[in-house]
Amino acid sequence: MSEQWFERDPLWFKRAVFYEIHIRGFFDGNDDGSGDFRGLIDKLDYLEWLGVDCLWLLPMYESPLRDGGYDISNFFALHPDYGSVEDFREFVEQAHQRGMRVIADLVMNHTSADHPWFQESRTEPAGAKGNWYVWSESDERYPEARVIFIDAEPSNWTLDQLRGEYYWHRFFHHQPDLNFANPEVQEAMLEVLRFWLDLGIDGFRLDAVPYLFEREGTNGENLPETHEYLKRVRAEVDARYPDRLLLAEANQWPEDVVDYFGDGDECQMCFHFPVMPRMFMALRREDATPIYEILDRTPHIPDNCQWGLFLRNHDELTLEMVTDEERDYMYAEYAKDPRMKLNLGIRRRLAPLLDAGRDEAELLHAILFSLPGSPVLYYGDEIGMGDNVYLGDRDGVRTPMQWSGDRNAGFSRADWAQLYLQPLMDPVYGFQAVNVEAQLRTPNSLLRWMQRFIALRKEHPVFGLGSYKPLPAENTRIFAHIRTWEEDIVMCVHNLARSAQAVQLDLSEYAGMVPVEMLGRTAFPPIGELPYLLTLAPRGFFWFQLRPEGQVE
Amino acid sequence: MDEQALIEYVTRQRWYGAKSRMVSHAEVLDTIVLRHAEPQLSLALVEMRYDTGAHDIYQLLFSGGTEGVTFDSIREEAGIAREIVSAMRTGLTLQGSQGVAEFHPAEDFSALGRELGAARAVSTEQSNSSMIFDEALILKVFRHLEPGINPELEMLRFLTERGFRNIPALGGWYGYSGGPLTATLGLLQQYVAGAVGGWELALVEITDAPERFLDRLDRLGEVTAKMHTALGADPNDPAFAPEEPSVESLGLLTATVDEEIARVFLSLPDDDERLGPILGRGEEVREQLRLLTHAGSAGRVIRTHGDYHLGQTLLSNNEWVILDFEGEPARTLVERRRKRSPLRDVAGMLRSFAYAATAAELTRDAEIPDDWEERARERFLETYLETVDATLLPPGEAAIERLLAVFELEKAVYELRYELDNRPDWVGIPVAGIERLMRAAAEAL
Repeated sequence: MSEQWFERDPLWFKRAVFYEIHIRGFFDGNDDGSGDFRGLIDKLDYLEWLGVDCLWLLPMYESPLRDGGYDISNFFALHPDYGSVEDFREFVEQAHQRGMRVIADLVMNHTSADHPWFQESRTEPAGAKGNWYVWSESDERYPEARVIFIDAEPSNWTLDQLRGEYYWHRFFHHQPDLNFANPEVQEAMLEVLRFWLDLGIDGFRLDAVPYLFEREGTNGENLPETHEYLKRVRAEVDARYPDRLLLAEANQWPEDVVDYFGDGDECQMCFHFPVMPRMFMALRREDATPIYEILDRTPHIPDNCQWGLFLRNHDELTLEMVTDEERDYMYAEYAKDPRMKLNLGIRRRLAPLLDAGRDEAELLHAILFSLPGSPVLYYGDEIGMGDNVYLGDRDGVRTPMQWSGDRNAGFSRADWAQLYLQPLMDPVYGFQAVNVEAQLRTPNSLLRWMQRFIALRKEHPVFGLGSYKPLPAENTRIFAHIRTWEEDIVMCVHNLARSAQAVQLDLSEYAGMVPVEMLGRTAFPPIGELPYLLTLAPRGFFWFQLRPEGQVE
Repeated sequence: MDEQALIEYVTRQRWYGAKSRMVSHAEVLDTIVLRHAEPQLSLALVEMRYDTGAHDIYQLLFSGGTEGVTFDSIREEAGIAREIVSAMRTGLTLQGSQGVAEFHPAEDFSALGRELGAARAVSTEQSNSSMIFDEALILKVFRHLEPGINPELEMLRFLTERGFRNIPALGGWYGYSGGPLTATLGLLQQYVAGAVGGWELALVEITDAPERFLDRLDRLGEVTAKMHTALGADPNDPAFAPEEPSVESLGLLTATVDEEIARVFLSLPDDDERLGPILGRGEEVREQLRLLTHAGSAGRVIRTHGDYHLGQTLLSNNEWVILDFEGEPARTLVERRRKRSPLRDVAGMLRSFAYAATAAELTRDAEIPDDWEERARERFLETYLETVDATLLPPGEAAIERLLAVFELEKAVYELRYELDNRPDWVGIPVAGIERLMRAAAEAL
């Protein structure tokens, strides 16, 4: 029996810091060269220390692994490399005991071609599962639907020789789309959700949700039918499982993404995709305008919902939500080697994107943590791990977590050759130079800074719950804004430039208050009627709490 | 039941722990009737919900039926306590609307069979309510309920099974399981009458007979060692099996203590002369910590007492009795059940010798021999290390000393912050402790 380890709190995710884990790459608990749930349990103390609130697991299900596990061949079993369902239950229990919640990737849109449902569908067109996938005699239907994996797939239709019909797939051809127009498919997917919720999981990151339904004359994205089904999923979850989270992956413009929140009755969280490349762009251009603009363009969302914000994740740094011109700029600045490009994106980790700059890493995390939303960290980025652009597809950003300078980076006791991927060994990012053990011991390491910074953010619910007000200044190299929640007023000022900058901020509204810097608790001069002058170091930032004059020591 | 009356009643209680929070709602989640005859006696689980959306669950005892409910006055509490003990005796299961309350007698506890005589309430407690019968039995009622098994019950049952005798025997317990939560509600124990508290005894004897108290520490070291050996003796019970700490554990511990040192030293006032010996030496302390944790194993981790000091001991018929296995009250139940190095308990006891010596000086004007604390440490440690299962500790004396110093530093830094905020007159104790550790560490390296 799973015990209750939390106070009831349906809005927990609004104040949470998320941490994304590639199970295969985290820690090998049984010495077979591949990470697993026993290994994850061993590292929970580390994650608890780091201070993250919710672990997001990449796909863990049975799969032929032709798409990193997003090609599921059995929704009710784990990939054998990762362990048993019992291991998973134990992992969730142990995470809960340490005050961390667990959500997992779930792909509803499609299955692996190896899934028995698909095999039955193609061999018995008139059988029970004959209509569980989207079949067509022609490959001309839904012409408006774009091809997403443009580097790999020529069309969304592939002919199945056995059935003699084309099947629909928005992603790889070995990932046929389920036919959600079929009520049996809808019900089957709810059954999948219940199975994992009964095991104690705290929610799902729903992969590729915009594409569940398709209809002639549309681009097959964000259809009303899709939203209707997601609302049904939410209602079913809420009815039986309190405090669970649905987090939608909808790589769309904010005005389309907000529909996935419904009226607070669909997904509680959605990723904010377009803000991410703009943070990188702003840093390169030394200009805050792209960040201000995208936040201006971001509609209001229901109070019980939240944006998920991130710098990097397990996929390529996606450039779907930028203009062609912006994309060219991003490629030119961040992907000088063509190997670094993938589809419409850049397949690199955070530290190499920033040329291993420590100030840049701190600045981007400060901006990320200050924006309205819940930050999602990607494993390894807290120590500044690098990537390997010579590995295929997205494997370059999925190499083993670097725990120590020991054999196999402390990731596994298997033979070197047996590892699913070899850890990085280059002189800058290799495991001798970049690892958890060394950084734990070094008070000024990135890891120790991240731990302190996560703790600081969690001390102030305003970052998760507060309102956002931009403070644009004449000096556009400065990104400044105010967050407010109840009595807590926080002003965040970030210098995107490589050079020191001065900025004058109009703070007359807060006249009489005293800015207290939040990391060192130093009081700055009180705010008056005149513009407030601040000077910032290159790539520097200040977070201030604004407090009434009498309340500052 | 009137919600407002309920809020007023609960927030007035000594055991109510969220005094700084705004209560928005109170609700009875479930009621278990202990006695149907008049006056009807019941216990209830009450949820207090705060304006932030968080909540706590408390156990209430009350008499009366649906009308005219009166809450626990002392006299009624005694009546309810009797009902609870008698329910344990017979092993009752009582049904509520959302779950069940189960009452259990402990095996081989003959005192449970006796008639209950005079009862008195214990007046000094913070988070629980206790009733003593005939100066022989004590019923502890847990007020703030947390999901999961209570560590005190778990530890007492385990230590009793392992034949560790230096604890008050467990007589029985009761718990609730159902929709709202699964939790231990209370337990019955032997009450050790005629005993003297270890802390009080220390203050008297350090003043009047310092050698006699030192002699007693030989035995305390031995008893502590036996407790740890017993706690680490069952590899088959997952809640107690000794474990190898994770590879990072020493690094995580160092990082945690290091951050705490940095924080505390950052906030030290510049002008407090009592801080003199350590003022401006924060970086030096951190450097020592790094050296102390640089190499070596941390031994194994086991369930520990968790809040171990002289105040948690009694001396009865010249034998030490260890009390209160609940762990540090400010920590969550999950943290209190966590396995740690037994040396953390040892460090707690050593720090308490420093406190006892100074407290005797401050409160009793005693003249304490300069080397008393040092000798107390030696006496306690010598028998402890001789007796304890050595596989629980890091290998080798030097490694033990180093890890012990880390835990003592952790405690002393915590004390420093606490005393600065609460008892400025006592600041000298942690200051001396930190200074002492820096000196010792420098010598050991």
